[in-house]
Amino acid sequence: MSKTINFKIDGISVEAQKGETILTVARRNDIYIPTMCYISKTSPCGSCRMCVVEAEGVDGYILSCNTPPTEGINITTNTAGLEKERTNIMKLYDVNHPLECGVCDKSGECDLQNKTLEFGVSQQNFSARDQSRKIQKWGLINYDPALCILCEKCVHVCNEVIGDDAIEVKFGGYSSTIIPKNSETLDCTFCGECIAVCPVGALVSSDFQYTANAWELNRVPAVCVHCSAGCSLEYETKDAGIHGEKSIYRVKNNFEFTNLCGAGRFGYDFNNKATKDESAFNKAVEAIQNAKAIRFSSMITNEEAYMLGELKNKFGMKLFNEDARLYAEFMSAYSSISGKKHHSATLDAVKQADAAIVIGSRISTDNPGVRYALTTASRHNGAKIVYAHPIEDALLQNVVTQLMKYEVGTEEGVMALLAHGILKDADLSDEERSFFNDLDFGYIGAETNIGEEEIDQMMKSFSRSQKCVLIIGSDIMAHKCATNIAKLAALIEKYTTFSLLIVPSQVNTLGVSLINSLDIDEDIIDVVGYNDNGNFVISSLEYANLSIPSLNQQEGTFVSIDNRVLPTNVALDFDGYTLHDLVLACGIEHENTIDCTKELSANSGFKSVEFDSLENFLSVYGDDDRGYILDEVKCNIDGKLDFIDELPEFNGTVIYNVNPVLQFNAYTNKTKQLEKDSSLRGSAQFASAARISDGDSIEITFGSQTIRRKFKLDENLKGTIALNPTYDIAVDSSRYRFEKSKIVRVTNE
Amino acid sequence: MNNEAFNNRDVSDSYFLVDIEDYPTEPWDKFKRVIKRTFRIELFVGLWVVIREMFKFDLHTVSYPEEKMPIGPRYRAIHEMKRLWESDTERCIGCGLCEKICISNCIKIDTRIDENSRKEVSDYSINLGRCIFCGYCAEVCPELAITHGGRYENASDQREHFLMYEDMLTPLDKMTAGTQVEFEGFGAITPHEDERVKKTPLAY
Repeated sequence: MSKTINFKIDGISVEAQKGETILTVARRNDIYIPTMCYISKTSPCGSCRMCVVEAEGVDGYILSCNTPPTEGINITTNTAGLEKERTNIMKLYDVNHPLECGVCDKSGECDLQNKTLEFGVSQQNFSARDQSRKIQKWGLINYDPALCILCEKCVHVCNEVIGDDAIEVKFGGYSSTIIPKNSETLDCTFCGECIAVCPVGALVSSDFQYTANAWELNRVPAVCVHCSAGCSLEYETKDAGIHGEKSIYRVKNNFEFTNLCGAGRFGYDFNNKATKDESAFNKAVEAIQNAKAIRFSSMITNEEAYMLGELKNKFGMKLFNEDARLYAEFMSAYSSISGKKHHSATLDAVKQADAAIVIGSRISTDNPGVRYALTTASRHNGAKIVYAHPIEDALLQNVVTQLMKYEVGTEEGVMALLAHGILKDADLSDEERSFFNDLDFGYIGAETNIGEEEIDQMMKSFSRSQKCVLIIGSDIMAHKCATNIAKLAALIEKYTTFSLLIVPSQVNTLGVSLINSLDIDEDIIDVVGYNDNGNFVISSLEYANLSIPSLNQQEGTFVSIDNRVLPTNVALDFDGYTLHDLVLACGIEHENTIDCTKELSANSGFKSVEFDSLENFLSVYGDDDRGYILDEVKCNIDGKLDFIDELPEFNGTVIYNVNPVLQFNAYTNKTKQLEKDSSLRGSAQFASAARISDGDSIEITFGSQTIRRKFKLDENLKGTIALNPTYDIAVDSSRYRFEKSKIVRVTNE
Repeated sequence: MNNEAFNNRDVSDSYFLVDIEDYPTEPWDKFKRVIKRTFRIELFVGLWVVIREMFKFDLHTVSYPEEKMPIGPRYRAIHEMKRLWESDTERCIGCGLCEKICISNCIKIDTRIDENSRKEVSDYSINLGRCIFCGYCAEVCPELAITHGGRYENASDQREHFLMYEDMLTPLDKMTAGTQVEFEGFGAITPHEDERVKKTPLAY
């Protein structure tokens, strides 16, 4: 049987793949069928019935959004009857809809407004007794039930894509509304995706409400800079007030195809303000010329990284960036087995996967993009998702099909067990087979606390899977056996259908790891800090000796988790100096920062493309054509697996360095809207082990750091590991994210 | 229609030369021409009109600034912000269309949500130094809130004068006295408009 179905829409011959609906085929062929409730990234809910079409030989109308075509059928999308049906639906939508378009936030980009005009609804022949509907205030989100048209887009997105499952429809005929699920008020991760998809002004951002209108805002296409998912977004700017300083009013995304987390949507005001301070600039130039090293964070563009590399070559200094260095080290170990420079999976691959293993990351807060992709895979493909981590994650509980809880520090053993299970029947080389034969699985099983039956159960659930993804998080990068774990992961990718996704911890960790040759961080003096610590600090954060623009004030490129080079643009102006000025003063000539885009090395897969020729939008069909994908680079296969010795043990009070939802770094900490809860969160079991209780002020000592925090009891947590936020403190990213710590209660003076 | 007359492009027959005297070249001839032109009768005709009006004491000009001419309702001078007749509140809803349509970019508006969860105009200004008084703002305003008034004397030693919303808004005492003048220009309410309003289902 052939996989394609040939049929006709409005006399045009079209072709459908198996599983496609009439609507998707029509849209792909630029045939217009109006819809109100349809959204491409969720399954059709059929609540609006606007998408009705006629099919030859079928009585009545059929819904094109959820009906697959049959071979040879003739579909008509527009007849007088259909037009009347749709106009009546629009009239019903307009019943008692408040006539407040003049003040409504959605006016100008409102689906209801557009369709009402499209169908020419100029008078009303239906009526209903109106009801008192109170505006609900849900923190960052306001809900006005009077404006709601019950299209259910928000509910479907929240459930099927985001995975919070925080809202539902309260059915009651004309008095139906959207309500928080199992809760008085909205208790969710505040991704704000419901605001984005709302076709009317029912769900709006409480901060944005009534501050501007769609037609007043300028759109700047950019990339979210809070994590490595590289989500596309648009900063909407306007002159604030009558004194004319430009500021970002809100962030929007192409909600039809892409998602944003709350940090991207509400955490946009991290821009830096400065004027040209010449004496600070001269000191900065002098500091760079005399520096032995530059320490920098991965919150920079590829162009900045390239210019820092030029400074390294010119002055023979060292470059420190532990985060990117460890990632690069991990990737080179991976390349030594796989023979490829870049990992093979993308977020799209995760979305389409039917099986996934996540190891070494609290992925829902480390990289919400991956979380949403996993949710999509789970809801739409029924994907089997194995979550291997020492701590359960309540945010993933509806998605994860198997939790594999291992002991802290034993990732190498877990990886060996996984590889052994997955590669059981693979055609391994003798050397590789003997590696597995030599392993003492009894010991590994005991130390990791993962039983053979867990691996068997996983393999059983994966038995029918075609598209499998292995997702490796940033716990692993700083693990002392990271290279061996990388080799095991490469082995899985090499011999099976598994593709591999290695999650970079920050927005441009991947880019920096490809562009710069980094040195091992040393505690020396004469270090210039670039968005990081140093004796002279050049930074877009507070306490800088020289201020530079933030990432929403720069143009340049990032490399995202998809190995895609993404361009970003200037949303807000910056009056001070930039790295480009510093580099120029040091005698390296570029006309513009973005001239470095085409200089990026082809050895790492970069293409010699001008910045200005990079596109930054999604096509109308949802294809992501932003920037370009890194070229595949072949590497030597010379890696050998190391024998697994003893697995480390972590006892006592262990803390895990992980940020709460919506917080990622010092930039998100600067923003106005995002919640800043910096307390140490732990279970009751942890509290009794550390002898502390809810609300205590505590002092935590780990590594060489001592910090003060409040302790907060979290009912969703279990076990003896507490979660320590890192967005407000400087954490040494070369250290393993789990830390043995000493916790003392301090009394408030 | 017969196009013969138009199609015939040969108009050489109907041309004739105007009898023009040659320009004088000699200084004496030039002097004679000046004298001839100066003491022609036309001069005295013109002078007679002036002298006649001078002695009639019937002035036809307006003695501005003591006297002013009435101006047309559609005259476009300094903007006015109107209030609602029924509640005395401001008509402006902060939709920002005037800011958007302004072709000389002189309108700035800022809105916020007030304590009653309503949209409130927090800042509004028109830079009259840039304004070209095209009237687009008044034309686009969906609420007939911004209109052009008749205040055309906008000379000042400060550019910042007459810019603020408060200056343009109808004063409350004027409102209570019922002396707010309606705009009769484009988009204005026609007389007895309320009699033509149709009932919506809500009113049944």
